[in-house]
Amino acid sequence: MGGTQKKKYERGSVTNYITRNKARKKLSLSLPDFRRLCILKGIYPHEPKHKKKVNKGSTAPRTFYLLKDIRFLLHEPIVGKFREYKVFVRKLKKAYGKTEYTNAQRLKENKPTYKLDHIVKERYPSFIDALRDIDDALCMCFLFSTFARTGKCHVQTIQLCRRLTVEWMNYVIASRSLKKVFISIKGIYYQAEVVGQLITWLVPYQFAHDHPTDVDYRVMATFTELYTTLLGFVNFRLYNSLNLLYPPKLDAKAESELKEADDDDYAMNSESYLEKLSALSTSLAKVVSTTEEEEAQLDQFPVEDEDLEKMEAREREQKEQEAQKKLFEGHKFFLNREVPREPLAFLIRCFGGEVSWDKSVSIGSTYEVTDETITHQVADRPNVDKQYINRYYIQPQWVFDCVNAKIVLPVEDYFLGVTLPPHLSPFVEEKDGDYVPPEKLKIMALQRGEKPAQEEEEEDEEEEEEDEDDDDEEEEEEEEEEEEENNLKNLEKQRSQGKSLSVKVTAGKMKVENPARLEQEEKAEEKRLAIMMMKKKEKYLYDKIMFGKKRKVREANKLTAKRKAHDDAEKSKKKKKANK
Amino acid sequence: MAANRRIKRMASSQPGFLNLKSTSDSAGLASTRRKRLNKNKKKNWNKHIDINDVDEFLEDIRHQERTTGGLLSEKSDDTLFFLDVGPPKKAEPKAPPLEVKMRKGKPVRPLRIDLILQRDSLVPVPKDVLSYQQPNAKKLRRIAQKAEHLAHKGVVPRRQKKLLNMRPVEKTESKAVTEANNNPERDFYDIWAQETKSTADPWYLQQTGKTRVKRPEKLNEKPSVLPAVEVIAPGGSYNPDFFSHQALLQDAHEVEVKKQKAEDKLERQLAVNKDHLATEETIFREQVEGLVEEENVDEEDAGAEEEEDGVMFGAISQAIKKTEKDRRRERAEKLKEQRREADKVKTFKQQQLFQLRSIKTSIKQDEADTKVKQIQRKANQEAQKSQPRRLGKLKFQAQDLEVQLSDELAGSLRQLKPEGSVLKDRFKSMQKRNLIEPRERAKFKRRLKVKYTEKRAFREIT
Repeated sequence: MGGTQKKKYERGSVTNYITRNKARKKLSLSLPDFRRLCILKGIYPHEPKHKKKVNKGSTAPRTFYLLKDIRFLLHEPIVGKFREYKVFVRKLKKAYGKTEYTNAQRLKENKPTYKLDHIVKERYPSFIDALRDIDDALCMCFLFSTFARTGKCHVQTIQLCRRLTVEWMNYVIASRSLKKVFISIKGIYYQAEVVGQLITWLVPYQFAHDHPTDVDYRVMATFTELYTTLLGFVNFRLYNSLNLLYPPKLDAKAESELKEADDDDYAMNSESYLEKLSALSTSLAKVVSTTEEEEAQLDQFPVEDEDLEKMEAREREQKEQEAQKKLFEGHKFFLNREVPREPLAFLIRCFGGEVSWDKSVSIGSTYEVTDETITHQVADRPNVDKQYINRYYIQPQWVFDCVNAKIVLPVEDYFLGVTLPPHLSPFVEEKDGDYVPPEKLKIMALQRGEKPAQEEEEEDEEEEEEDEDDDDEEEEEEEEEEEEENNLKNLEKQRSQGKSLSVKVTAGKMKVENPARLEQEEKAEEKRLAIMMMKKKEKYLYDKIMFGKKRKVREANKLTAKRKAHDDAEKSKKKKKANK
Repeated sequence: MAANRRIKRMASSQPGFLNLKSTSDSAGLASTRRKRLNKNKKKNWNKHIDINDVDEFLEDIRHQERTTGGLLSEKSDDTLFFLDVGPPKKAEPKAPPLEVKMRKGKPVRPLRIDLILQRDSLVPVPKDVLSYQQPNAKKLRRIAQKAEHLAHKGVVPRRQKKLLNMRPVEKTESKAVTEANNNPERDFYDIWAQETKSTADPWYLQQTGKTRVKRPEKLNEKPSVLPAVEVIAPGGSYNPDFFSHQALLQDAHEVEVKKQKAEDKLERQLAVNKDHLATEETIFREQVEGLVEEENVDEEDAGAEEEEDGVMFGAISQAIKKTEKDRRRERAEKLKEQRREADKVKTFKQQQLFQLRSIKTSIKQDEADTKVKQIQRKANQEAQKSQPRRLGKLKFQAQDLEVQLSDELAGSLRQLKPEGSVLKDRFKSMQKRNLIEPRERAKFKRRLKVKYTEKRAFREIT
């Protein structure tokens, strides 16, 4: 055996990794700068499979990066900018130290800055890539736009975030692409479908910030820096796709209306335009102002029979979506001052409603409370002093629930002072057999076009029946078997009791053949035969699956029963109270 | 002017010219003797040349012009003379009463001083030349004419051309330098628009820094499969359904129980064993250790010695020398053993022939086991993808579940108290998705020790 001895840790997985500190030194950056660079470029630490090997025998916990990633970073022009900035800070400090203020001023004017445009282009080579990653950007921008201007981050960043989020909301309104909304205790979740991508974002409640201490603001600010750039470009593209002007301009007609209101009360001239935009109460100006919307007709293609059904289903779906987009069209809302204005205005405008509020609440109100054509007034207090006859007074949850149910719900449950039905999460999708809360069942029934029954109890029963029906479909075969068995048992019983069978001749009845029923029976028969023909192993698996399904159903039934008991208890309590 | 003067001279030289003043000096002039002097110096010219006649003549002309507005010789007779036909008769009686009237009303008479200051010359005031003059007027006019001519032709002058060429480069540069990244008024453009493909050599472009290095495809993979925004469970609604709320509470409860268990375990492990605690007795014994000689100690020692003896017996054993016979016997035994083993193996192999079925089944069993394990491993790997990785010193710790107890739930949106912080939620989400490593805030470490001293002034008071 000749040759030199192979050294340890010079080949294998060690060569693929580099520790954070070494990477930092290789780029000659400080740790914060390195961290910033990694975030901006989208290079994340990597956990090696065999830590001990990569760590050269040591088991100390370290942060590793892939060596190739770091080598890629070496080409980044921003690295140079970071170094420049470091030098700039040093010079500025020196100037201040020497009290050379003119010098410091000059330096400040020539502060080195950098752009992230090329990074956005590089990380998201196509528009769809960018849209897929827009969730994070939206969350961060909405979050930062609610920050107070207290020096936790740059005021300019907050302003930019605000501008971008307002632009985004205006786009969602203009394109009517909102799908779901959920008021949680954390914040409000929204989901929209933009260019075929489902986009979810979380908007915090306003004025609800206690700044947590264990969050690294620098890291968050860096993320926001990238995301603002990304969101800006995405907004531009989206506005272009709708033929809207970018940066957004208010509709000329609306603008003139708004001008009548005194601007000076709310904001400085420089800010009032953004404020008007963020009021969300008016539509935006288009590049080419068209009077009538072009109704895009789907092209009709000659199709095969199999595809026909699919096509029809798709068309139906599209029609439903169109209907949903016009949910609030023709309704005129007025928001009381205790109601959160922005989310509600956003929702109502997203579905084609008109909305206004008291002039003293915010800029951009379009009509007064006294307007006779108002159909709904959203209020969140037990009672309103002066009530108009020709409008509904509802609680804000109605708007949210309508959006989630995709229909205009009956307003009775949402009148002032009424205990609200629970606000259900639209993000939960129940599979068959899961427990479905009765409120959701009710909404589903409404969606199918069934009229709600007068009394609640009846409704409950119906729901249960429905529930059972659902269950029946799965358990059909078993039940049939049971029925047969029961019949046999009855016969046997009768025989054992020694009673002669009652033999009677009655007038014959036409046997009504229900083709659907027959078909179903045939199918069930086929299924049973298939089960019989199963191999032992497969049969075992099948039984297991069926058992699991049944268990689920059983659990769901249990929950519904529990719920009913709970409701009954509540009801009886109420009755007692009423009696007292 | 010059032309005018020439005319005057001409006029004076003409024979019909009348002088207002009598020319009595001419005789005197002729009588003076002519002096001899050098005429090559200007000084001499001024000094010795008699110009009185010219002066007088000029003065006379000026006088004529001042008083009559031109040369008398050039005036027509009508302007100079009139026919005297005696005093006008009719006008006289009318005029005096008018004058009387005027005097009565004390007519406005100009002051004498004004009359003195009034211009009495009839020569018109010369124009102010300076206000009309333009330096290089002729040249400029010519240049303007030429430029007009060229402009008409459509030729841009060179200087203007230079300026035009310079302008755009300067502007773009200055803008790029000044605008900050988070400028709220910054403008965006279509970054994903179709780019014109440059025909230049890509290698050249890259080496000269004109194109960037291509981003490796692998970097576009996300480090975790988790979604960016995880929607809170339905129990987290501000007005939740009873059961989903209970489910959420149950989850939160389980998390809390787990935490409590870990804490309890730690406490249990760290708890002091009561047997190890010093009692009064043990303390006393420790204090008296070695002071009092006790008898039972000896006994114990004795016991120990006995035990030692027993051990010793086992340890020391005499090595008995083996005889030749023993060795022979041992060898034979060894051989026999080996043969027996070989036989055993042989029979076992022969027997296996009859066990083929069972062997086959066992192999099948093994294979099935490995397959199951493989599947399991793959599933584990899939599950790992959604797990937070260990990226640094600290492990990822999920934030507390946001939960509101049943009595904390608000009846309406107005009374809703938000729970948790979205900022923290985002931060933790990023950690969970392996975008950043979990990190503790750097603690402030004082490098130099602080020395506290009392101020002298303060010390004097107390």
